[in-house]
Amino acid sequence: MKELIRETINGLKKKGVDYADLRQVKRISENIKVKNREVEGVSKSEDLGFGIRVLYKGAWGFASSNIISKGEYKRIANLAMEIARASSLAQKEPVRLAENEAYKDKYVSPCQIDPFKVSLDEKLNLLISACDIMLKNPGTKVADVSLNFFRTEQIFANTEGSLIEQVITESGGGATATAAKDGETQWRSYPNSHGGDYATRGYELIQEMNLLKHMERISEEAVALLSAPECPAQETTVIISGNQMALQVHESCGHPIELDRVLGTEISLAGGSFMTLDKLGQLRYGSPKVNIYADATTPGGLGSFGYDDEGVKAQRTDIIQQGRFVGYLTSRETAPLLKQRSNGTMRADGWNRIPLIRMTNINLAPGEVNLEDLIADTQQGLFLDTNKSWSIDDKRLNFQFAVEVAREIKNGKLGQMYKNPIYTGITPEFWNTCDAVCNQNYWHVWGVPNCGKGEPMQTMHVGHGVAPARFTKVKVGGSR
Amino acid sequence: MTGKEKIFSLINPIIKKSPADQTEAVVINSQAGLTRYANSTIHQNVFEVNSKIYFRVALGKKIGVASTNLLDKESLNRALEDAITIAKNQKETPDFTGLPGKSSYKKLKTYSKKTANFTPLQRAQEIKKIFEMAAKRNFTVAGAFSTGESELAILNNKGVACFQPVSSAYINITAMSDNSSGYADGLSRNVDNLDIESLTETAIQKCLDSKNPQGLEPGEYTVILEPKAIAELLEWMNYIGFGAKSYQDGTSFLSGKLGQKIMGENVSIYDDGNDDMSMAFPFDFEGIPKKKIFFVQNGVAKGVVYDSITANKDKTKSTGHALTPDSPDRALALNLFIKGGDSNLKKMVESTERGILITRFHYINGLIDTNNAVMTGMTRDGTFYVENGKVRHGIKNLRFTESMLKAFSNVELLSRQRKLISSWWSDIGCICVPAMKIKNFRFTGKTEF
Repeated sequence: MKELIRETINGLKKKGVDYADLRQVKRISENIKVKNREVEGVSKSEDLGFGIRVLYKGAWGFASSNIISKGEYKRIANLAMEIARASSLAQKEPVRLAENEAYKDKYVSPCQIDPFKVSLDEKLNLLISACDIMLKNPGTKVADVSLNFFRTEQIFANTEGSLIEQVITESGGGATATAAKDGETQWRSYPNSHGGDYATRGYELIQEMNLLKHMERISEEAVALLSAPECPAQETTVIISGNQMALQVHESCGHPIELDRVLGTEISLAGGSFMTLDKLGQLRYGSPKVNIYADATTPGGLGSFGYDDEGVKAQRTDIIQQGRFVGYLTSRETAPLLKQRSNGTMRADGWNRIPLIRMTNINLAPGEVNLEDLIADTQQGLFLDTNKSWSIDDKRLNFQFAVEVAREIKNGKLGQMYKNPIYTGITPEFWNTCDAVCNQNYWHVWGVPNCGKGEPMQTMHVGHGVAPARFTKVKVGGSR
Repeated sequence: MTGKEKIFSLINPIIKKSPADQTEAVVINSQAGLTRYANSTIHQNVFEVNSKIYFRVALGKKIGVASTNLLDKESLNRALEDAITIAKNQKETPDFTGLPGKSSYKKLKTYSKKTANFTPLQRAQEIKKIFEMAAKRNFTVAGAFSTGESELAILNNKGVACFQPVSSAYINITAMSDNSSGYADGLSRNVDNLDIESLTETAIQKCLDSKNPQGLEPGEYTVILEPKAIAELLEWMNYIGFGAKSYQDGTSFLSGKLGQKIMGENVSIYDDGNDDMSMAFPFDFEGIPKKKIFFVQNGVAKGVVYDSITANKDKTKSTGHALTPDSPDRALALNLFIKGGDSNLKKMVESTERGILITRFHYINGLIDTNNAVMTGMTRDGTFYVENGKVRHGIKNLRFTESMLKAFSNVELLSRQRKLISSWWSDIGCICVPAMKIKNFRFTGKTEF
């Protein structure tokens, strides 16, 4: 197979392309979902194909196919050239790529227990046991638990001589207890909502989650929320839980630092960014407590890999240093604009998609305080836990999040529960009120497996290393 | 494309030889091209040929699902074996009472050869014309233009043998100035039906009219929502409320409310896969013909859509809305309609003393309070202040947080004309809706542009 890939790349070189790369990707996945003890679905899928990206006379073309044969490789290579020629008809400036080394390497993500070798029976028993515990609470209407596993095997080759193999295993899962009464539903999730937590790790991640230990608590909390008061509208201090901080970083920092958005190439769908080029090095994005970096080498991070999908080595890049905006996520096409080389964030959702600038692991560096001490240090406020909904404008300024639960903080102690909490703000105003980030003991890399971008839509798996953090003067309210 | 005969002759012997009690295959073949442009230049231009073949098998009430994207016999047999292995190790699904049997479905014309064969060069030529129109106003443009074809076959060992080829063409256009933008889009089975020139004019005019936007404080306003904005709300309502699963879980805004008046009498929302005014598609992923289902009829909650398993749970019959066999959502409406009224956008503006005209929304989220269909989102790409019957000027974008039960109870006017709006499932359906004028729509925040 490698010979066929080499032959195809050499053929494109002979045709005079400026640059070309080829990715052959095989992905297998297993998805298991149990609801109220009944197995809602167990499915396994296999997906194999290749995509060829050609830069010809400064214009891009990309073609892809699921047919693995010598003839199809040749046909698709020619088609990618034809598409590049069509692109040049309506192109202003030729594309120039930043320099990059040629690599011959193999990267395999860490995986202690191969999730595809763990029996279905073991997995189902875990999920059914989790349901059993949640359903012991008579107020639980729906007990939902799921596990998902992915393995991606990729060969990347380009006309500059790179030949990179990568094998990445991902695991994830979580549970949600839903309580219902008088036409109202409330839910609590563990370890996170929207499918749980994910990592580039093996089945050990699922074991370490210790799902069963938390099922009684989330079902109790879901039921208790039904009779909890509505979160009062106020401007107050909030401490945001780690799993919600992951989404806060994702939406209000991760997306606006994508340089393709900044340059307007995602404007018609995902939108642009308020973090325009003139703000680089100038913008006071957050308080001095805020340090954010992109790091594709974070151990176990869902956005970790060896090389990005244009063959740039995984690396760490500072984004926000002591509150100041200092860096973007870049590609080989966009980095020259900043007189830089790519920092390796071009990622594609499979063989049939072109790589786009995507988040890797966008991490908020840990601070110094214990969570317990931070709560004790808060006279009046709310502890906001676990995402329920998310929305942000198309330049990533005005955001609004709903979370599953708010807990009152009064005189340094956690108090009563509130339901339907929402908080909202303007990104830099909000981050400038951050006066504390919890320390390494509370820092966790959360996996977000559903980040959407691009046309055709691409769903990316990204990570966020974060700890709970405190913000002041935040607008909070209830949904009703 | 592979064609009916080849697919059937490839898959039928595998189903016939399957040792499972019951075996079903879903085959999706597609090839499509998409050209993206921004800053008035083509920056992405892609083509894909792909397949997806699902096998769903049953051993008694134990179900297994496996899929592959490879059409060779070895890969297909491996996928079938995987499905059987899963079923063997699976627990029973009590509501599974068997795969559906054969039934006839409506013959629909869903394929345009011209659309299927539209080339990257043809797309680039059309896009170049858009650039030229925008340049006359010193605007730049961004968007995407896609053309492609698919074929869908459903077969099982109880006689289901469905096949339908489809094509689709879609374009979206955003015109940009330094402080405004305007949007338009078009969708059709036939690329000839896309009036790209007229869509470009609309996007440019909106961009022009919304230049130098003024700020407006949040609060309750009368809104005139163009079809794109309505479709975006309806898409979320579908996701959180129109499928049987959310209804059975009690999280749907229809749960416990069937027969009750939940919206205004002038609101009727339904799904109809056989209405070729839309991107019609006659059967679901179990091969069951699609039935017309009202979710809300004259303001009264009427029903939800089912696949065979969720239907058995409620002791009813499938409505023909099953999703692919691996989908945890089981059933969703893919051919959504809102019944039109007798108004139009001009009359809506003329009858408005003080309000906001909205082209489309951004990043709606409907998970805040699903029982009350509370959603939030931002306006974008053409938001205008209306006063004393006239569009006065563009305004900076606003955030709404509102219950759709309340909003759809406050509908004052609906346009007679309805528009097709694309969604992620547009090969096999779309959203067909009128513009609507709604009073007391709640805005809770604002942004800086």
